[in-house]
Amino acid sequence: MERQKVDISKFKKVELIKKLFREDVPEGVIVRPNPKDYNHYHSYGGLSPFFEGLTKGKLLGTECQNCRNTGLWLPPRVDCPDCWEKTEWRDVDTKDAKVYTYSVTNYPGAGFKATVPCPLISLEIPGVCTKFMSYLSEFGEGEPYIGMPVKPKFRIRKPTYTILDISWVPTS
Amino acid sequence: MLELSPDNLRVPKLSRPVYAIGGGLTDFRKFYPEKQSTELCMEAAKMAVTEDLGMGVKEFKQLVNFSVYSQFADHFGDQLLAAAKIHDYLGFDPLGNIEVKTGGATGGSSVLAGIMAVASGYASLVPVIGWERMDEVDTKQGNSYIASAACKDFESELGWLYATYYALMMQRYLYEYSPNRETLAKIAQKNHHYAKFSPYSQLPGDLTLEQIMESKIVSDPLTFPECCAMSVGAACIILADEETAFKLTDKPVKVVGVGSGSHTLRTADRRNMPVLLLPNEDQGLYKDRENEWPGFTSFLAARMAAYLSYNMAGIKDPVEDLDILETHDAFTVSDIQTYEDIGLRPYGQGQEFVESGEAYLEGKLPTNLSGGLLGTMHSVGATGIYQLVEVMWQLKGEWDKFHGDEKYWQKYGKRKPVDFKSLQVDNPRRGMAISHAGTGSHVTSIIFERGW
Repeated sequence: MERQKVDISKFKKVELIKKLFREDVPEGVIVRPNPKDYNHYHSYGGLSPFFEGLTKGKLLGTECQNCRNTGLWLPPRVDCPDCWEKTEWRDVDTKDAKVYTYSVTNYPGAGFKATVPCPLISLEIPGVCTKFMSYLSEFGEGEPYIGMPVKPKFRIRKPTYTILDISWVPTS
Repeated sequence: MLELSPDNLRVPKLSRPVYAIGGGLTDFRKFYPEKQSTELCMEAAKMAVTEDLGMGVKEFKQLVNFSVYSQFADHFGDQLLAAAKIHDYLGFDPLGNIEVKTGGATGGSSVLAGIMAVASGYASLVPVIGWERMDEVDTKQGNSYIASAACKDFESELGWLYATYYALMMQRYLYEYSPNRETLAKIAQKNHHYAKFSPYSQLPGDLTLEQIMESKIVSDPLTFPECCAMSVGAACIILADEETAFKLTDKPVKVVGVGSGSHTLRTADRRNMPVLLLPNEDQGLYKDRENEWPGFTSFLAARMAAYLSYNMAGIKDPVEDLDILETHDAFTVSDIQTYEDIGLRPYGQGQEFVESGEAYLEGKLPTNLSGGLLGTMHSVGATGIYQLVEVMWQLKGEWDKFHGDEKYWQKYGKRKPVDFKSLQVDNPRRGMAISHAGTGSHVTSIIFERGW
């Protein structure tokens, strides 16, 4: 009888890990590489108009018609967390946007797409009920500071379709 | 504006008494290739049963009817349903079990789930076992994995680093309340120092304030020694009903307060509200307050958890009524924020808790004598359990037994420091541990009291 074979020989020779975190792997312990290389796909679902807006130079928030006095949601929410009714899209007026707080990131985690140092900021925007998180893409000595007036800048060419498509620059 | 109703603020009740009776830990390391997670959990559980409870494994297993597992991140461990593997490894099948996940507060939430299981009458003896495997990726990837517990649409891409989200709060805290920068560094100094006396600790050391403040800045203004460890290790605490507790030990520790709270995963989305007052704060305290609350400087989830647990335990003033405290000191700034959220000092005055000396061994409410997350460990799923094990050992007067005995130092290949001193608090009656996730997305507060 001719038997079929199951073969794993196409795998390359495995080099065991000898050192991790600047420490030697102890004698007798096997640590093998475990590479991951695959794509994930992520839908923005009902939030898609927000990310589409960024690519067109527009910053969109949402408002609940039912609970109007709450102010705009930015990040937007398709559904109102207070009454669970659908919200509506609104342009965010960024004229008086200011830095609410900041930090300069020096050692980001893997996958960070911007250069460092990168000033991370939270924004105070009149009419918005939240403190939108973003980054400053231009900064000088002593910047950012709390209360600093800023304006948005959009990555319209070659958008990343991530939140990095909006950044902020000094107003002056 | 967020509004809370009386029912939202209902004080929890347990249907019957619940006790913590035994605990066990592994040591905590950045890199622990010698042992798989199963082996680490076995080690912690075995210590709880054979060394703390002092009973045989088979005899113990005859009494177990449910267990709770605590692991933060499946992607770190790279093993879905790891709890099933650990449950099997410990030979608990076919008993029921659940795995709990609430980020950094997973340990506290798991103990809460165990308490609920016993209090409801569903179970009479419940081991709660937590671990985290954080050494299968490098530190940069590890930070990225942790930051996937931020909002993937609106936050994660902005740094892939939790320290930077906390640094935003720190900068705002410094702006609003102008504490001494040094006070924050003192928290790191204290906890790294206490870690010296723990055979379990990963980052022990005596650092000067200058060394702390002049270390490399992870994210302005947080420096490396002000950020918690990334650890591998496990912890186990055993919960029981009254009958089982007194059958197995003369010194059970009673659960007298439990509370849990939450707040938005995205710090950005926190809307303001009037300050929720704790039993030690009167109406007039914040009358003239202009700062936003909770804003970026307070954790509503921590305040909510404290509110519920204090009211349940009858705590009128935490500094007076508690004898020992473990906080989730993931970052120096979050620790000072937490002091205020749990009412050790009014908002804006948290630094006084450290400056007054109250937070130290000799003080009124020694805090993080375990070395905390800054000095000893943050093996996330184990963390909240480890904190409660340390509190329980203190209340049982067993700190020396589990920290001072040479055999534990030898077990982990360490040398007991020549300047070793006992951190056992003198006759403590009541202690609390705060378990905390995200930038305050989940917080639990659990209060233990001597039960004998």
